[in-house]
Amino acid sequence: MIVIGENIHVIAKVVNDAFKAKDAKPIQDLAKAQAEAGADYIDLNVGFLRKDTEERMTWIVNTVLDLVDLPLSIDTMNPVAMEIGLRLCKERGRKALLNSASGKTDSKNEMLPLAKKYDCDVVISCINDKGMPAEGDSKLDSVMDTVAYANDLGIPNERIWCDPIVLPASTAGEGQKNAVATYEFVEMLPEALPGIQSLVGLSNVSSGTPIENRELLNRVYLVILARKGLSASIHDALDEDMMKLCRGKSQNTVDLIYRTMDGEDIDFSSLSQEEINYVKTTKVLTGETLYSDAWLES
Amino acid sequence: MEYKAPVEAYTGVVREETIGKGEKALKLGGENILPLHFFDEGSNPNPPRFALEILDMKPEGWPEHLVEPFKDVISDPVKWAKRCEDFGVDAVFLRLVSTDPAEKDSPADEAASLTKKVAEAISIPLIVYGSGDDKKDAEVLPKVAEVCDGMNLLIGPVQKENYEVLSKAILDHGHKASALSPLDINLLKELNVKSCHTLSPDMIVIDPESAALGYGMEYSFSLMERVKQLGVIVKDSMTQMPIIADLGGECWKTKQAIENKEQGLLWEGMTALSLLLAGANIIVIRHPETLKLVKETIGGEIWQK
Repeated sequence: MIVIGENIHVIAKVVNDAFKAKDAKPIQDLAKAQAEAGADYIDLNVGFLRKDTEERMTWIVNTVLDLVDLPLSIDTMNPVAMEIGLRLCKERGRKALLNSASGKTDSKNEMLPLAKKYDCDVVISCINDKGMPAEGDSKLDSVMDTVAYANDLGIPNERIWCDPIVLPASTAGEGQKNAVATYEFVEMLPEALPGIQSLVGLSNVSSGTPIENRELLNRVYLVILARKGLSASIHDALDEDMMKLCRGKSQNTVDLIYRTMDGEDIDFSSLSQEEINYVKTTKVLTGETLYSDAWLES
Repeated sequence: MEYKAPVEAYTGVVREETIGKGEKALKLGGENILPLHFFDEGSNPNPPRFALEILDMKPEGWPEHLVEPFKDVISDPVKWAKRCEDFGVDAVFLRLVSTDPAEKDSPADEAASLTKKVAEAISIPLIVYGSGDDKKDAEVLPKVAEVCDGMNLLIGPVQKENYEVLSKAILDHGHKASALSPLDINLLKELNVKSCHTLSPDMIVIDPESAALGYGMEYSFSLMERVKQLGVIVKDSMTQMPIIADLGGECWKTKQAIENKEQGLLWEGMTALSLLLAGANIIVIRHPETLKLVKETIGGEIWQK
């Protein structure tokens, strides 16, 4: 599993403040901590960066490149900022990931060509001009159209990572459906589009759930997705338990989640509270039991 | 080739719950089929039930044609309740609107003693709802539960803000809880899970919030369907409770119902009929002629198997 550390994103106050004040230290600290925790990529979520785009983008990319040797995931919807990020990486001989393009007309015209121009890997999400498809196979249909377009631009499948878009599992009624559709997409992808990798923004699955249970939801979902063949995940690289799961060091937990997925009737009396929570969470994320904020209590 | 219709048999059962005491106590739920799926294996032992709604004070803003059947008793909740019983309804639904801080803010003691008087005056079960103001209900409803100790009333609305105090009072004094959540399956389940920290699941009735025809009824409809599917097919223990559809108040707020009597009856009747199709086990309405209309439409025992 390729781990893309999400910790540098402008929604976090500490990052936003440092970015505004051009204070390199908090950002470099985060980059370094993620590298030490074993992240494979550092995601730079800079937002849209409407103002002083060139100056600020140059500053943040160089700030991170100066300190760590890892490839960067340049995470912005602004094609101007994107190009600056990709160019800097190329100039400094560093691998970069364009995060992300989609099937929207604007994105096809302005984002996708940058992947060809800078010869980098590119994330293509299943969003298109009609919005976000809800089912696993309609997500796939959408992404196949965009991938065909990218192929025509000269971007081979081996350069493409597909993002089915993870949504909060807690969203009334539809959230759990999407959780299932997303891993179905991951499972179908290799056959439909050989050579393509899959990637998710994992933490969104627990958005809106009580904060004390978010990590549990993230971890279990990662194990489920990994079993379905997920190639890469953007998440909190500083969550040690998550990292252990990614590196295959929590085999007991993984086995328990797999057994739950396979429909085994698991006897709770032999399990610790933590293990029971893993089972209950697996059942929620596979749509077997209805989500509620109190899912661990029933 | 001969066609053989598929027959489903589900293993989930909606809990059968009783409200009220004595001969006219009411059983709600108990089905292990989806609403009206009489072609499947299983049964629906209890037909849909009906409650007529009364208020604890003279209503303001009710159209003349809604007041008419009760006009000589409408200032006296006890007489009003008895009138409802005379119309042959299964239960009376008393809403303590006067306790609302935005209304008269009448005290808990007063509401509780009135509730007891109403409950004692009728031989059918009483459902009692606070004003819906969660803070005031947390004062009023425990008092009601205490004063009416052992009468097995259905008390609501139990909401996420006050379930702890209400559940305890309901348990301590031998009543049932009507748990109200705002049109959301996940919140509905959460409230039931939390209420079950105190109550046993067979003491809870689900109020998923009922909107009127043309004013969001389809949300209530699909939510009720979902509750039944989860309970009967998926066996989700936290949705296997009977459903109450408190729809009269919503219907009689609409412009269409206020405009004239025929429209009002049809508005309330169509909403009631639709939510029965979705799986409601007890319907709360306001007009006795709607009661007659809906009962005639669905026909005697046909909804029972």
